[in-house]
Amino acid sequence: MAPIENKFSRLLDQIEFERSLKSDHELRHELDRRQAELLKKGEVPELDEEKSTQTAQDFEDICQEELSNFKFSPRVWGYESDVHSVERKLDSSLLLLVKQKLGDGFVWALPHGLRNEGEAMHQTAERVLKEACGSDLKVRFYGFAPCGFYKYKYPSKARLQESGTVGAKVFFFKAELLSGAVQCNGTLVKEFKWLGKDELATDLQREYCRSVMSFLIDE
Amino acid sequence: MPAFCPTEMRTLRPTSPHLSTPSAGAEPLKKKKRLDPAILKHREDRKRKRLEKQIRRLERNAKQLKPIDELEVPLKLIDQKEQRTRVLTPLSETVLEERVLLQKEWCQYKHSQRMQDLQIIDRLLFSQQKALNELKKESEDLYQAAIQIDPKLIPFKAKGPVRTPLINQYESPDGEYVDVSRKWE
Repeated sequence: MAPIENKFSRLLDQIEFERSLKSDHELRHELDRRQAELLKKGEVPELDEEKSTQTAQDFEDICQEELSNFKFSPRVWGYESDVHSVERKLDSSLLLLVKQKLGDGFVWALPHGLRNEGEAMHQTAERVLKEACGSDLKVRFYGFAPCGFYKYKYPSKARLQESGTVGAKVFFFKAELLSGAVQCNGTLVKEFKWLGKDELATDLQREYCRSVMSFLIDE
Repeated sequence: MPAFCPTEMRTLRPTSPHLSTPSAGAEPLKKKKRLDPAILKHREDRKRKRLEKQIRRLERNAKQLKPIDELEVPLKLIDQKEQRTRVLTPLSETVLEERVLLQKEWCQYKHSQRMQDLQIIDRLLFSQQKALNELKKESEDLYQAAIQIDPKLIPFKAKGPVRTPLINQYESPDGEYVDVSRKWE
């Protein structure tokens, strides 16, 4: 929580306390205190034998002890540095990067591939992801429309070989991981990483990264 | 008797063609048993009375509404009102002033948060629109395919993010279910 959120939450608690009536527990606490005073004076207060001898203070102590003994499950599971695990950075979303074949070399990018004739764009995206990361991955694509766009030119050598084409247009699709793990087959994809939004810049090219960033939500 | 020899039939019974049906040769119906009209009336009365009684009972119950416990102040609280009110010293001017200032600050904070959210949404929409425009330049068909609604996403359900990672193959224990809600007839 931001400091202002903390402060305001405390104020709301205070206002609620002021407007409230005393609870049963508080009444019991007061009764206990009055009886203790009477005992000190030497008078024997009227005690109900049937009532338990546990005072309100005792009850509070027991609750406090139970709370301190309770172990909350940890938020950090030691996966923080393991970029292959989706269990890292639980409080933010992760993006899958793969080191995939592009031209002659391997480049860090989102899973990508060429569109075949007769395919709609989202069908291409589904097929490409399956080819790059294995069919074990269960995902849900967010709609048929691309969420981002990137355009680049081929290096001049390649441009000479492929007559007419100057570069490529890349359309991004968003998908959500439901279950399963990434399997890279080695020939097409060498490695993979699950990265947070703040870690993308180190692996991606600058312009590409800008395009990717433009359809991600700030956290 | 064959029904389809009009010439013969006309000669036999020219005025009553319905006699040509097979029932013509059937045995006469049994005479219906006549009941005493007084008994019948009595039965009917009883039926009506029973229905009327049911209706009356339903009407009486309709006025009786289920009490909403949450809306009623328990008697105990009304009795102990004085005992339970807090004795608090009235807040000083400075404290009240501080509270007002904090509330104003809170408003500004929430406003800026909201503006940030709107900016993010704008940015996402802009990115998508740009992609769609580029797609339209490439091919109208692909564009049309892209702007269709994905039926698998309707109704949309999202789960998570979770506070702690899920425990693998954890089976939650079966609890006991006791329905303690009161019955209202």
